[in-house]
Amino acid sequence: MERFTEWLKYGDDTVKALGVSAGGLIGVFATLGVFFLVIWLSDKIGRKAE
Amino acid sequence: MEELFIGFTSVTWQHLVMYLVGVALIVLAIVKQYEPMLLLPIGFGAILVNLPLETVWEHAGAPGFLKVLYEAGIATELFPLLIFVAVGAMIDFGPLFKNPYMIFFGAAAQFGIFATMIVATLVGFDLREAASIGIIGAADGPTSIFVANIFAPKLLGPISVAAYSYMSLVPLIQPPVIKALTTKAERRIHMSYHESNSPKWLKVMFPIAVTMISGFVAPISVPLIGSLMFGNLIRESGVLERLSQTAQNELAYLVTLLLGITIGSSMKAADFLTWKTLLIMGMGLVAFVFDTAGGVLFAKAVNLFLPKGRKVNPMIGACGISAFPMSGRIVQKMANDEEKGNIILMHAIGSNVSGQLGSVIAGGMVLALVPLVAGL
Repeated sequence: MERFTEWLKYGDDTVKALGVSAGGLIGVFATLGVFFLVIWLSDKIGRKAE
Repeated sequence: MEELFIGFTSVTWQHLVMYLVGVALIVLAIVKQYEPMLLLPIGFGAILVNLPLETVWEHAGAPGFLKVLYEAGIATELFPLLIFVAVGAMIDFGPLFKNPYMIFFGAAAQFGIFATMIVATLVGFDLREAASIGIIGAADGPTSIFVANIFAPKLLGPISVAAYSYMSLVPLIQPPVIKALTTKAERRIHMSYHESNSPKWLKVMFPIAVTMISGFVAPISVPLIGSLMFGNLIRESGVLERLSQTAQNELAYLVTLLLGITIGSSMKAADFLTWKTLLIMGMGLVAFVFDTAGGVLFAKAVNLFLPKGRKVNPMIGACGISAFPMSGRIVQKMANDEEKGNIILMHAIGSNVSGQLGSVIAGGMVLALVPLVAGL
């Protein structure tokens, strides 16, 4: 990971933007994916409790 | 004698253009009712700051009232964060809890932010400026202001104007993009909806969990997500009704008023009248188009894996942008226009509130990643 960011630092701005875009999109999907799990698990637990 | 007429003699053609820009924004706000609560104060602020001698900004070595507001509310990021408290108090995540998978559309529709950032670097902006321009695609004024103020404060004026203008133009921007990417049959897909109430403890726990998770994943996003979720917790706690109402009304109106006129004060002729402003306005539109396309195409991709009868109406992907609740309503209207009685509103709103979360998380990702690769 560190090697990749180091490599990006030496790229031009478009290459850096590509790196930020890839990382950003993965990050957004992963974070919202965790939120999905929170809601989904809460729903399951709630139904069991009922 | 010359001093008496200094007001007239110091006006330049650039100032005159900015008065026209200010008047145009006020006309759009009043006549077309495009985001009037913001565009009117922004327009008036733009006129104020370009009047001779800029006394509202600075005079005789002392800061003027707009500079005081700017340094107190924009430079410190206070105004956008207070707006987020208000927005959080307005959001009901109920439709999302009923269809939690809608949250992924809120992620897909952030595509425009990143695609526009790449385009912006290709047309000559540096990475920090490009990130600030891309964030117009968050379709979320406070996030745009927050990010632009950190990475490109000189571009704050045009970025804010672009963000709020295109948010108000969502009803004109989204339908043609959606229609271009979907077939009539896809737009007629029905989605079943089962009425059920989400438990209160989930509504209370959700803002706390989201804030903590965001804090672990992207600590830099905590001011944004934390203030949004604080407002939501006040709303959902059920014991702070007066605070919730205050956040949704008095706080929202007061800060919006101050935010608008202060943003307007960042539109000094020397900073605003550049080729960059035109490019930013163009790329703001690109961002909204890419957002919509990203959401719709993601929904179509999801449909490839869903069995017949459980497919999603791909139009709800477009609601993953943060323009809430306008986008959800537009998609419902389109569904109803295609086939009378096709109700997808709750799914659309679920996707739309996910967009609120997605845009803030995307803002946090940009704030975290840009310094990392730029070596700032």
